[in-house]
Amino acid sequence: MLKVLLRKQFTEVFRSYFYNRRKKQMRSKGNIIVMFLLFGFLLVGVLGGAFTAAALGMCAGMAEAGMGWLYYAVLSGIAILFGAFGSVFNTYASLYLPKDNDLLLAMPIPVRTIILSRLLNVYLLGLMYAGTVMLPAMIVYWIVAACTAASVIGGILLFLIVSLIVLMLSVLLGWVVAKISVKLKNKSFLIVLIALLLIAAYYFVYFQAQQLIRELVVNAATYGAQIKSAAFALFLFGRVGEGDWLAAAVFVPLTAGLTALVIYALSRSFLKLATADRGGTKTRYREKAVRAKSPFTALLVKEFRRFKSSPNYMLNCGLGVILLPALGVFLLIKGDDILRLIAPMFGGRTDCAAVPLCAALMLVANTIDTAAPSVSLEGSSLWIPRSLPVRTRTVLAAKTTMQLLLSELPMLPAVVCMAIVVPASPVEKLLLCLLPLIHSAFAALFHTFAGTRNPMLDWTSEIVPIKQSGAVTLALLGGWGVVLLFAAPYLFVSAYIDMTLYLAVWAVIFLAASALLLRWIMTKGVEAFEQL
Amino acid sequence: MLKIDHLTKTYGAKKAVDDMSLHILPGEIYGFIGHNGAGKTTTLKCVAGILHFDTGEITIDGSSIRKDPVKCKSALAYIPDNPDLYDFMSGIQYLNFVADIFGVPVSERQERIRRYADTLALTDDLAQPISNYSHGMKQKLALISAWIHNPKLIIMDEPFVGLDPKASFLLKEMMRAHCDGGGAIFFSTHVLEVAEKLCDKVAIIRQGKLIRSGTMEEVKGDESLEEVFLELEAN
Repeated sequence: MLKVLLRKQFTEVFRSYFYNRRKKQMRSKGNIIVMFLLFGFLLVGVLGGAFTAAALGMCAGMAEAGMGWLYYAVLSGIAILFGAFGSVFNTYASLYLPKDNDLLLAMPIPVRTIILSRLLNVYLLGLMYAGTVMLPAMIVYWIVAACTAASVIGGILLFLIVSLIVLMLSVLLGWVVAKISVKLKNKSFLIVLIALLLIAAYYFVYFQAQQLIRELVVNAATYGAQIKSAAFALFLFGRVGEGDWLAAAVFVPLTAGLTALVIYALSRSFLKLATADRGGTKTRYREKAVRAKSPFTALLVKEFRRFKSSPNYMLNCGLGVILLPALGVFLLIKGDDILRLIAPMFGGRTDCAAVPLCAALMLVANTIDTAAPSVSLEGSSLWIPRSLPVRTRTVLAAKTTMQLLLSELPMLPAVVCMAIVVPASPVEKLLLCLLPLIHSAFAALFHTFAGTRNPMLDWTSEIVPIKQSGAVTLALLGGWGVVLLFAAPYLFVSAYIDMTLYLAVWAVIFLAASALLLRWIMTKGVEAFEQL
Repeated sequence: MLKIDHLTKTYGAKKAVDDMSLHILPGEIYGFIGHNGAGKTTTLKCVAGILHFDTGEITIDGSSIRKDPVKCKSALAYIPDNPDLYDFMSGIQYLNFVADIFGVPVSERQERIRRYADTLALTDDLAQPISNYSHGMKQKLALISAWIHNPKLIIMDEPFVGLDPKASFLLKEMMRAHCDGGGAIFFSTHVLEVAEKLCDKVAIIRQGKLIRSGTMEEVKGDESLEEVFLELEAN
C-alpha cells in the first residue's frame, strides 16, 4: 500500500518534469533531460557550490586545530536551519492540505500509511535541502582532513541524523502552522507575519553566522574549548561526523527515538487537523450598509481580496511591498557607506552610484509580481469574468492596476529616501525619483503580459501558478534582465554620458515599452484571455 | 429572447455543436436534454459568451453575442454545472460583486438578496467564506447571484444537481415566476421527469446535432419524455 501511495506522491511531485501543462502533452526525452539538468545545476552548482566554498574556507584550519567536531557542528546547524525553515510551509501544505486527503481517508488505507507516505515526501525535501550543505561538508572533510572508514561512516551517520532532525522540526513547525490555521480567523495575515519573522530570523542568523564563522575559524581552539565545556552535547554531535563510535552510539538511537515519538504524536493529531473545518468561528450574517461600485472597482476589489486571502500569494508576489520602504530606510541610514562602496566602480564618482541604487529599487519592485499568476489563479472560476458583462480589457486592467498600486505606493517613500541620500542636482533627483516609478508601471504591464501569454488553469495547488509557472519565471527573470540592461551599460558609459541624459533616455525606453505592452494587452492579450 | 442560428462549434476536428438552430421566446422555460458529451454545455457556453464559435449567430434580446457581447451578457445570467465561485470571498461579498458588475442599485440588490436568500435558506450563511460552503450551498449562491440582477434570460447547466429536495422545489417555483414575469430560461438537465413537468419547450441533442425540438406535446406526443429520449438515442 505504501508503495502505491509513494508512487502517486512522486508522480505528482515530478509531474512538471515529464508533462508540459501549457501544451497539455508529455515532454520530449530531450526536454526532460534539460529539465533535470537545470534542477541539478541549481541544486548542485549554485547551492552546493556556495556551501562547498564555505566548507573549504573552514575545514583545513579547524581540522588542523583538532576542531573537526566544531566544523561538523557548525555546518550541521546551517543544514538544519536551511532544511527546516526551507520546508515549513511545504510541510503544512503536504501534510494537512492536499486535496486528496478526503479521498484517501475514505479508502481502506491505514491512516499511518497515509502519514508515512506524506512524511516521506517531507523527509526527501528536507534531505535535499540539508544535503546541499552536508554533502559538500562531508566531501570537503574527507579530502582536506581525513578519509578513513570511521570518518566516512561517521559523516554519513551525521547526515542521516541531521535529516531526521530537519524532519522533526519541519513536522513540529508544520503542526504549529496547522494549529494556527484551524484556530484563527484572519489567519492569512498571521501566517504571512510568521513567515516574515522566520525569513527575518533566517537572514539575521545567516548574516550573523558569516561573522561568527569567521571568528570561529580564527579562534577555533579557544571557542572550541569553551563550547565543549559549556555544551558537551554539541561536541558529541560534531564528533559523530569525525567517526566517533561512542558519539554515534548516543545520537543515532536518540534521534531515531525522538523521530518515532514525533511521528507517533503526529499520527494522533493528524486526522483531527487534516479533516478540521478551517473556517474558524461561524459568523451569522447581518445586513450592513453597502456602497455600489463601478465594474472596474468591483474587479479591483476582487483582485485585492484574492491577494490578501492567500499567504502564498502575499509572500511570493508581494514581499517587495515591505522590502521597498525597508530599503528606503536602509538607504537613509547606510546610504553614504553604500555610495562610497559603489563609487570606485565609477572612478570614485559618488554621483554616478545613484544609478545602481535606482536599479536596486527596480530589482526589488520587480519581485512584486501579482499580475503574473493572476490570470492562472482564475482557474476553474474563469467562467465568472467570461460570463459577466464586462469587457475583457477591464478584467486585465484590474489585474494590472493591483500590481501598479502595490508597487507604486511603497516605491514613493523609497525613491524619496534615495533622493535624499544621493549627491545629485534637482533635475537628476527628479529623474531618479521618476524612473523607478515609471519602471514599476512597465513591470506591472510586463507581468500582465507574461501572465496572459502563459496561463495555467488546470492547477490543483495554487502554489503552482504562484511559484512554479512559466508566467512567473518570465516575469521575474525577464524583469531582472531588463534592470540589468539598464544598469550594466552605465558602468562603461558613465564617463562619457551625463547621468541626466542616461536617465531620460531610459525613461523614454520604459515609457515606449509600456505603450507597446499596453497595446499588446488590449489587443492580443484580450484575444488570448477570451480563448481560454 | 434567444435566437440560435446554424451554430457550429468545433474542438480541433471534432464538431461539438453542428448547425444548431433554436428560438426561445419570452416567458418560456426551455429544457435541453442529451447524453453526456452531446454538446449541451458547449451550446450553453456559446450562448453565455464564454466560448467563441466557428459559424452561425446567437442573438439575445436582439443583440449579437459576437458583435456586442457586453450588451448581451447584461441581459443574461449563466450558472455552470459545477459552480466554482470565488472561494476567497464570503457569500455576501460575492453577491455584492455580481450586483456591482451588473450595476444593480443598492436598495434593489438588498431587497433581492433578502428575498432569495430567505427563500433558499442561505441568509444565515452569507457571511461565511464560500470555501466553507457545500456544493448545494454554492449552487444556491449561484442561483441568487443569477436572480439578483433580474436578467431577461437565464442559462443554467444542470441546475438541480446538488440541491436538496426543498431547494429543487423552490428553484422550480423561482423559474416559473421568472418566466411568468416575461423572462426566459434555457437549461440543461438529465432529470427527464423535471423537464417533462417544468418545461414549455424542449430540445434533444445528440452528437452535436439537434434531433428534435418544440413544445413538450410536439416532442413527446402520448409517450413519456423518457421513452421518447431513449428511442431517439437508440436510433
